[in-house]
Amino acid sequence: MTDTPVLDVQDLHVTFASPRGDVHAVRGASLRVMPGEVVGLVGESGSGKSVLGLTALGLLPAAPEPRIEGTAMLDGIDMVTAAEDERRARRGTYISAVFQDPMGSLNPSMRIGRQVAEAAGGATDEEVAQMLAATGIPEPEHKARAYPHELSGGLRQRVMIAMALSRHPRLIVADEPTTALDVTVQAKVLELLADAARERGVALLLVTHDLGVAARICDRIAVAYAGRIVEEGTCAQILSEPHHPYTVGLLASRPKLDGTIAGGDLPTLPGRPPDPRNPLAGCAFAPRCPAADTECAGPVPNHALGERRDECHHPGVLTRWPEGGPHAGRKDPILLKAPHPAQAPAMIPATPPDPAVVVRGAVRAFERPKPFPFAKRPEPFYAVKGVDLEVPHAGSVAIVGESGSGKSTLLRMIVGLLEPTEGEIELGPGAPPQMIFQDAGASLTPWMAIGKQIEERLIALDVPREERERRVLATLEAVGLPGEAATAVPRALSGGQRQRAAIARAIAVPPALLACDEPVSALDVSLAAQVLNLLCHLRETLDIALLFVTHDLAAARAVADEVVVMQQGEVVERAPTEQLFTDPQHPYTRELIAAVPDVTEVEVAA
Amino acid sequence: MAALVLRRFAAMLAVLFGLAVIVFVLQAVIPSDPARAMVGASASKEAVEAKRHELGYDQPLPAQFADYMGRLAQGDLQSSLRTRNEVVEDLRAFAPATFELAFAAMFLAAIGGLGLGLLLAGGGRAGKGIRLLLIGGASIPAFLTGLLLIVVFYSWLGWLPASGRVGDNFVVPDGPTNFLVIDSILNGTPDLTIDALQHLLLPAITLALLPTLAIARTLATSLDAVQKEDYVRTARAKGLKERTVLLKHALRNASGPALTMGGLQVGLMLGSIVVVERIFAWPGIGLYIDQSIAYSDFPAICGATLLLGATYVFLNFLVDLAQAWADPRIRTV
Repeated sequence: MTDTPVLDVQDLHVTFASPRGDVHAVRGASLRVMPGEVVGLVGESGSGKSVLGLTALGLLPAAPEPRIEGTAMLDGIDMVTAAEDERRARRGTYISAVFQDPMGSLNPSMRIGRQVAEAAGGATDEEVAQMLAATGIPEPEHKARAYPHELSGGLRQRVMIAMALSRHPRLIVADEPTTALDVTVQAKVLELLADAARERGVALLLVTHDLGVAARICDRIAVAYAGRIVEEGTCAQILSEPHHPYTVGLLASRPKLDGTIAGGDLPTLPGRPPDPRNPLAGCAFAPRCPAADTECAGPVPNHALGERRDECHHPGVLTRWPEGGPHAGRKDPILLKAPHPAQAPAMIPATPPDPAVVVRGAVRAFERPKPFPFAKRPEPFYAVKGVDLEVPHAGSVAIVGESGSGKSTLLRMIVGLLEPTEGEIELGPGAPPQMIFQDAGASLTPWMAIGKQIEERLIALDVPREERERRVLATLEAVGLPGEAATAVPRALSGGQRQRAAIARAIAVPPALLACDEPVSALDVSLAAQVLNLLCHLRETLDIALLFVTHDLAAARAVADEVVVMQQGEVVERAPTEQLFTDPQHPYTRELIAAVPDVTEVEVAA
Repeated sequence: MAALVLRRFAAMLAVLFGLAVIVFVLQAVIPSDPARAMVGASASKEAVEAKRHELGYDQPLPAQFADYMGRLAQGDLQSSLRTRNEVVEDLRAFAPATFELAFAAMFLAAIGGLGLGLLLAGGGRAGKGIRLLLIGGASIPAFLTGLLLIVVFYSWLGWLPASGRVGDNFVVPDGPTNFLVIDSILNGTPDLTIDALQHLLLPAITLALLPTLAIARTLATSLDAVQKEDYVRTARAKGLKERTVLLKHALRNASGPALTMGGLQVGLMLGSIVVVERIFAWPGIGLYIDQSIAYSDFPAICGATLLLGATYVFLNFLVDLAQAWADPRIRTV
């Protein structure tokens, strides 16, 4: 190994002008990547990690125009100040990239082979096929003639990797390369990327929000917070002996598979990432840090010792994150009322209450289009092939599986968005089911104030005006939103707040069943933990049954009493949560569990 | 792709059938009496009745419709009341001029829209300002543009002729395509080519102006959107030149909305061709329709309407195919 880093970022500042004030995306970050090294750059959204990666590529968006200070030395030039021609000459040849969304990152109207040949700077069909084969793509000659939409997500990301490797670069910037993929595919693609880099001596800068993903393949990890690298060190150092309380919190808020926190509250980071428009003078994490004191407002220190570096005023002050989330210990009554007297205590019958939903032999087929007019209609596609399911009163069931397993179709049938082709779905007594979606932003009406959207549901029940206002505020309080949120439009809220608002709308009239379709997979880990805690608390306080569709096994373990594993439209295993994780029976379940990137494995190894 | 062509073709036939039905219904409900128009105002009642019987207008409507569709299938559009020729013969004489003008205008609109769209894309504030001006430009009706062009280039500057298809001193060839510009090139008569082009220029520009602006605006907007796509960033990450990124990666993906807009504009253009031919005394279908309307010459009006409608449907069939070419994801639907 030579001593010259392939990438040397020093004191980088990136600021975007915006109508509401400058956004300080990166505020003095320094990071080195040595030849052949695999470095993880970990942080929540808004930490500036992606901006740092794009700066190294010289690909920051042109609008809003960024102001950049500092240097990003790469192959003898500074990617910040060098002429565009010089930077372009480095891209593809010296530094290349793998981006998050492999569907969006490949040109939809160009055949795979041509895109790869172009990345390689011109290549014969044979060479293209070899490159595709090298990233584990089956039938490479055939796939080269396909368009991106004809490939699966995993294959598309392999194509991206083939393109990134095609000109033997010294450094690959991989920005959330597996986040958009199914969990079993994630593991394979991650290993492919790491192996390919190691075999060829290519350095890898892995930008991710998931410490587990970074822990799986990285030599070194740098933790980004509010535009600075607050801590860096070897993988083992960061995981087993974090110095910065933010790293401790990040490690703690990741739902683990070992079950240490199941049933209880997930530890969460209180508050949310700082506003990048008004950066704090001292440690940016201080407002959320349980160990912060007056000293933390002073200039950030720089403790560096060998590979280890941190910017904490009191390094190592926290060894573990304090127990409990924002709701811990809070048992104040929530003002919501159940809509039906049937649930009043006096009328509870001696027999156990009816289940929230019973599904018997549910089948859902989707017709396929005819290949040409007057052709015989092809066999329909069966998304769900005869599923039985029961969610008990105030119970919690998680359906896990990969995309295409039929889990979302099943959920949609249960809430009535789709008619089952066969079988029956029997809903229990109480208010009809409600649903919350993965993309809360898109599920809220953009121009309508949150309060109005909640109120609409009460208007439908003829709740008088004076009471409506009170109930809106009570609902907001129940989901942990401030009363001011009632007048805010969805755009004005953060991602986590939007998901809370969507939940508020769903529970304004407490349903007997709350169906959640990947409710936290678009959220940062610390926010995800908060939302999962919230769902569990609502279940307890309002007797709402939860039906939870997710590909995230850890999230399933955190909220569910029972887990149902689906594969290709069928239930392959169902078991009480603890039993499923400790003693999985079906090979597919085992595969799913094994594929989850877990920081605990590495801790043991280190 | 073959299945898609088949499916779209079947859809096109269905639309054409619908068009024929609409034309028939219009003919049936409009209060005019073709038989009376044919025999003349002074003819006796018996003569009108005889004519009506001869033309089949005394039959019940379903029978008339069957008769009409039967003739249509054989390419018979009846005789013009005014010229006394078969309408098909009349159209054959007038259509080439219209098609030549329409194709010239479409060509200008496609080239102009593409070039202007590329120029306006990513132009920042200046580009957006110009786009606003273009909305103003796009609200000028074609007849006004035509008159303005005549005033400037014919009356003031005297650079270009303002009426007809060709100068009086030329003999019009009976060429293979009946497109003057092409036939004169094939016959090796450059003088005629130049003269025909000069005559073509003003009406073609008049017709092309609105579609050009509409296509340019649509293309620029969708190019701007596509420039923000991840695959454009991927193309840049490959180290491609900005021009390659724009032309090879962005343009094709941005062309869908511009193609849709182009298809719509062709329809509007075929509508305004009647007015523009009148202004420039262009001897085409527009002029033919214009004259036929004055005579309530329904067979002629219907025949010309069917031809223009069919042209529009066919061009949109081509637009559909072009879109499938531009976006392979459409092909599987």
